[in-house]
Amino acid sequence: MSDREDLERGYRRLLAYYPREFRHENEDEILGVLLASAPDGERRVGVAEAADLIRGALRAWLRPLRQCPLTVRAAVRLMYAGAVLELGYLATVIATEGSVRSAILARYPGLTAAQWHLVVLAHLLPDEIFAPVGIGLWLWMAWALGRGRYWARVVFSVIFGAATLSLLTALSQSAAIYAPADLAVGAAMWLVQAAGVLLVFSKPSAPFFQPNPNARFFRVAGSRP
Amino acid sequence: MQEATFLILTALAAGSQHGYGILADVSQISVGRVRLRAGTLYTALDRLRGDGLIEVDREEIVDGRLRRYYRLTDEGSTRLAAEAARLQANARAALSRLGPAGGVAT
Repeated sequence: MSDREDLERGYRRLLAYYPREFRHENEDEILGVLLASAPDGERRVGVAEAADLIRGALRAWLRPLRQCPLTVRAAVRLMYAGAVLELGYLATVIATEGSVRSAILARYPGLTAAQWHLVVLAHLLPDEIFAPVGIGLWLWMAWALGRGRYWARVVFSVIFGAATLSLLTALSQSAAIYAPADLAVGAAMWLVQAAGVLLVFSKPSAPFFQPNPNARFFRVAGSRP
Repeated sequence: MQEATFLILTALAAGSQHGYGILADVSQISVGRVRLRAGTLYTALDRLRGDGLIEVDREEIVDGRLRRYYRLTDEGSTRLAAEAARLQANARAALSRLGPAGGVAT
């Protein structure tokens, strides 16, 4: 096997980390540039080149598809903002833990120490456990919506429905217990989700979400100039 | 605007170029200071196409491989001109405050 073939195989192995759509559109061209830039006699991919390709692959995964409409791009940005808010929410819950504990004590003065401990856990633990899960969900939605996955809009709507119910429950039952900052961050996250739902279900977004991703993918690839 | 983006748009300001041409031109424009690699270049090109600042001018097959030429869009030209004017104004302000010595300590 020649030096060039060895090198090309090494580059192809690294390019396999890129999203399928990106590879389909750019792999051949990138390979041409990589091979043209490589010094004569080079058989193995250099460390700097490999690091650059892996960094590029990570960026390509985190970014919406190029064909993504502006409305969906805006929704993806909102998902990343939501992940940041969720992180802020977790920090707020941890920071205001003391005030929640005192509020519970004030509201239920007759509780035994064990009962009080259970009520505190029931109020705080779900938030502290589900906030990291929530961050993961925001990032997952950003990825799936940005790639036009058909199911992403459905899953996002279900998550939005669950968040709406959760917020209404918090407002009706536990508003006196949760610190105002917790409720404010929760409401801000709900607003971000509501704006996201409006954007992904808007008319310009609709063609991007096709039932069969291959059909959308090849239609888009075939329509390039 | 990041420096790499500015240099890629500058490389395309005089006319369309293919990927390897852009890499070489960016190195020349920055007098060898910025040496883009293919991974960085193509993620940037993909983003700039998505943002509507550049577009594909034409495609050729050379030695059995696809060679795609990119060009600035009107929006890309406008953004590059605005950024160049901003950098020029900043540089002028810095040089005028440094005085005739140009910042060289005497």
